[in-house]
Amino acid sequence: MCQLRHRGVAAAVICSEPFVQLAKTQAAVGGVADLPLIIIPHPLGGASLEVVKARAEVAYEQLSLLMRDLLQ
Amino acid sequence: MSVPASIVAQTTYLEAPDDIEAAYEFCEQSGFGDGLPIIPPTLERVERMLMFCDKPRDQPIMSIPPRYGEATPLRIAANAVMAGCKPQYFPIVMLALEAMGEQIYNLYGIQATTHPCAPLIIVNGPIARELQINAGYSAFGAGARSNASIGRAVHLALVNIGGAKPGAGDMATAGSPAKFTYCIAENEAESPWQPLNVDEGFPLGATTVTVVAAEAPHNVNDHESISAEGVLKTIAGTVATTGCNNAHHESRPVIAFCPEHAATVAGGGFSKSDVKEYLYQNAQIPLSKFSTENVERRLRKKFPHRYANAGLDALVPMVQRPEDYIVIVVGGAGKHSAYIPTFGSHRPVTRALQHEDGRLVLSIQELRNAR
Repeated sequence: MCQLRHRGVAAAVICSEPFVQLAKTQAAVGGVADLPLIIIPHPLGGASLEVVKARAEVAYEQLSLLMRDLLQ
Repeated sequence: MSVPASIVAQTTYLEAPDDIEAAYEFCEQSGFGDGLPIIPPTLERVERMLMFCDKPRDQPIMSIPPRYGEATPLRIAANAVMAGCKPQYFPIVMLALEAMGEQIYNLYGIQATTHPCAPLIIVNGPIARELQINAGYSAFGAGARSNASIGRAVHLALVNIGGAKPGAGDMATAGSPAKFTYCIAENEAESPWQPLNVDEGFPLGATTVTVVAAEAPHNVNDHESISAEGVLKTIAGTVATTGCNNAHHESRPVIAFCPEHAATVAGGGFSKSDVKEYLYQNAQIPLSKFSTENVERRLRKKFPHRYANAGLDALVPMVQRPEDYIVIVVGGAGKHSAYIPTFGSHRPVTRALQHEDGRLVLSIQELRNAR
């Protein structure tokens, strides 16, 4: 994702809550400290389809806001 | 001691107390280390460590994820001092890290995974003996400075240079005691087979390190079998476990035979290739032993060519090919071998200790003041 941002492509990373610190570190190391993170509840592994859909809705809300900001 | 200008430009120096307990406290407060006491890496000690380094001290040999810190010999040497290494051990520490830098090793995944893997360092060849790296009694355990400090130096470099701190860069759910240190030599003297490094294509007499992202050893107790097939059946039974990454990822788990089991198996006419073929054929688990979710959501999806429409009696091997098993001999007297599962999405790497011109290093003393 950092590489995409360096090429001028809008990008974000979806991660679950316990991995936010790792994601922020990675973004900073990749030279994109402000890389947007779409944060979803943990866990994802072993989740039922309903839970996965709920996670997707959480992500979709954040993605919509990001895209709105991007287009303004 | 004055610091050379070239080093000052490359490295941040910290003032720390001389007192060893205060230095230990300083490291804890600063987030360095593994929780155990350290030897303060003073300039004098780091200089001594670099006596056996034949590479430019300020040129990175790799960058260590997830922070992608540049691993220069100087920085690695500071970690080797902290770990308690003798300077003679330093080339092995460097070689292990260089091997872990190969793409197929997948160091980023290994550093950041939730899986409890640690870098198992297997040393083969004459320098393993020269450095007295323990291959015998309790080789995986405590007692030998070389085993303890080489493995620890590698781990400290992963933490201090790479940022693999628990909960931030190292996301292991509960981790493993092997993360403190995990270094052995193969007991070549008591092996009935050729050593691991020859299996991996290196000449007999080469000193090599093989790095494997591995779980801690799982014991294989067999005091009763007196046939090759008997011992191998017990090992296969220990290998075939459903909660192990090797059941659903491609990698290379390690079978560490104790010398007595190895003698029994080799005495029954089994070569290493025969052992690997036996384990491939016999360490298999029927789908019925896995949870329904693992069958439907993982195995059928990940290996559709095998299991998409397979019945629950279909068998799951623990490696994808017989030759994927790594077979070594380790330990002293007794009848306890070990099965060492691995991280998935990972291939172990073997590297030889060589001079810059490609000649094998035959004694560690060849590297003294080599630069």
